[in-house]
Amino acid sequence: MESTIRIKRALYILPALIFIILIFLIPLVYTVSMSFLRWNLLRPDLGIRFIGVSNERLFTDEFTLYTVGRTFYFVIGAVVVELLAGLCIALALNTEFKGWKVVQSILLIPFMIAPVVVGFVWRFILNNDYGPIIHFIKQIGLDGLVSQPLLSNPNAVIPVLIMADAWEFIPFVTLVLLAGLKSLPYEPYEAAYVDGATANQRFFYITLPLLRPSVLVAVVIRTLTSLRVFDIVFIMTGGGPGTSSETLAFYGYRMAFQSYNIGFSSTINMLTFGIAIVFTLIYMKIIGGGKNYE
Amino acid sequence: MNRKSPITKIIVFVVITLALLWTLIPLAWIVLSSFKYEADQFSIPPVWFPDKLTLENYATFFGNSEFVSSLLNSFITTFFSTVIALGLGIPAAYALARFDWKHANTIAFVILLARMTPPIVMVLPFFMIARYLNISNTYIPIVIALSFFSVPFAVWMMRGFFEEIPRSIEEAAMIDGCTRFQSLRRIILPLVLPGVSATSILCALIAWNEFLFALVLTGQNTRTLPVLVNMFVSERNIEWGVMSAAAIITVIPMVIFGLLVQNNLVKGLTMGSSK
Repeated sequence: MESTIRIKRALYILPALIFIILIFLIPLVYTVSMSFLRWNLLRPDLGIRFIGVSNERLFTDEFTLYTVGRTFYFVIGAVVVELLAGLCIALALNTEFKGWKVVQSILLIPFMIAPVVVGFVWRFILNNDYGPIIHFIKQIGLDGLVSQPLLSNPNAVIPVLIMADAWEFIPFVTLVLLAGLKSLPYEPYEAAYVDGATANQRFFYITLPLLRPSVLVAVVIRTLTSLRVFDIVFIMTGGGPGTSSETLAFYGYRMAFQSYNIGFSSTINMLTFGIAIVFTLIYMKIIGGGKNYE
Repeated sequence: MNRKSPITKIIVFVVITLALLWTLIPLAWIVLSSFKYEADQFSIPPVWFPDKLTLENYATFFGNSEFVSSLLNSFITTFFSTVIALGLGIPAAYALARFDWKHANTIAFVILLARMTPPIVMVLPFFMIARYLNISNTYIPIVIALSFFSVPFAVWMMRGFFEEIPRSIEEAAMIDGCTRFQSLRRIILPLVLPGVSATSILCALIAWNEFLFALVLTGQNTRTLPVLVNMFVSERNIEWGVMSAAAIITVIPMVIFGLLVQNNLVKGLTMGSSK
């Protein structure tokens, strides 16, 4: 009897679990094993050869380290910008001024837009000849800033990508923080009011500390999702100029689908995966901690 | 905090105005461009509001069989991956929310990890396997890949909705002689229907907007809209007007559906961390 119940219960979860494990683990094992191979589709003469962890020397390769650094430059820049802007907007929306719901809906729109389209939109408005933004910058006399097209300026290209990413994801951070703000308890504010705390004190000593869990959730999720940034890079810069906007995901893609170096690409992707695992574990810890309050 | 100082009001006004400008300027530019004649696209300095507007760009989009078929492909792949996600995800979410599993945390971690894994890690093996199985030119690889993203998502999101329903409701139904499956189907599912619709819309959003997998796994006959948008943008002479129309067509369905479920967005996107 007991065992029939267990089998019946397993039937609910097994299909999904088998699907995920099959589709997740097989490619994962495939990737790990390919990272031990020398396998270049353009050099069939060399064949597929087991070379142990030789590919892993890529981890200390200067180019890889630069790419990791650049990826974190992008991730940290994007997360900081999105967090600050998202916090300001969430606080403003939380005052529930007249019409705030309509404003919230409008501000959400970029988040629903396919990243490819976001890339196209920004590439268009930043176009040096036909883009309205560049024209505006020239009009207000900041010609020097855009003497070189922004997307072909190695120093400007990552900040521009951060801007496009922020356009799409500030709404997400805003939503998470707004949900956090709305669930804050009322009592500490009453106590602070009785004690005569100023608005600034209330914000820094009550709101911010209480909002910490929401901030952490937003930061970790955005870190994980911006770590994989590919679409906007692909469509806006193609990793260029040169390789100055190449992120880890783009590097892995280029290795596989432009250089056809399966072994190298798999190794880079393992590195990306490792970084993602670390942040997923952190995330599990955060939401696991959150569960205790329920 | 009912009484707001004038300073607060001014700050709120400034923040909201800036946020609206920041959001709307790029959108407005694309929307207006999609209605401009070709000559107006290339005017220097750029014109926001040309004298005449046209539907020419949309006509070009719908007159091009390649465009229309990629629109259809987007619908097909999104539909099937969402159905798979719900079909597999709802029972699993129910099981995780209701039964006490010894390894529930491990299962939850695997599912979360699957969701958090950077797509680039999966795309090369997917490509190689699809090529090996000789199914590269069918919908199968892309639909499976899209489901791979949305199944974990559906599990986590639906789990939250199931947990909100008190156990006593189905216990009562089971005392009255329903089996567990009957009580799930007849009593619990109708109660979580809003959750199901929000989940399916967000699954559809994920599938519709996915680019990397679509780029690698679709061929000439299975190409989806994001891939098409990319193809035309990478060309040297971009037809800005037609591309703007294509962008609007890509965006409209998801913006409408997404705004319908905005209240459930947070729950879904933070994988159940906020209530």
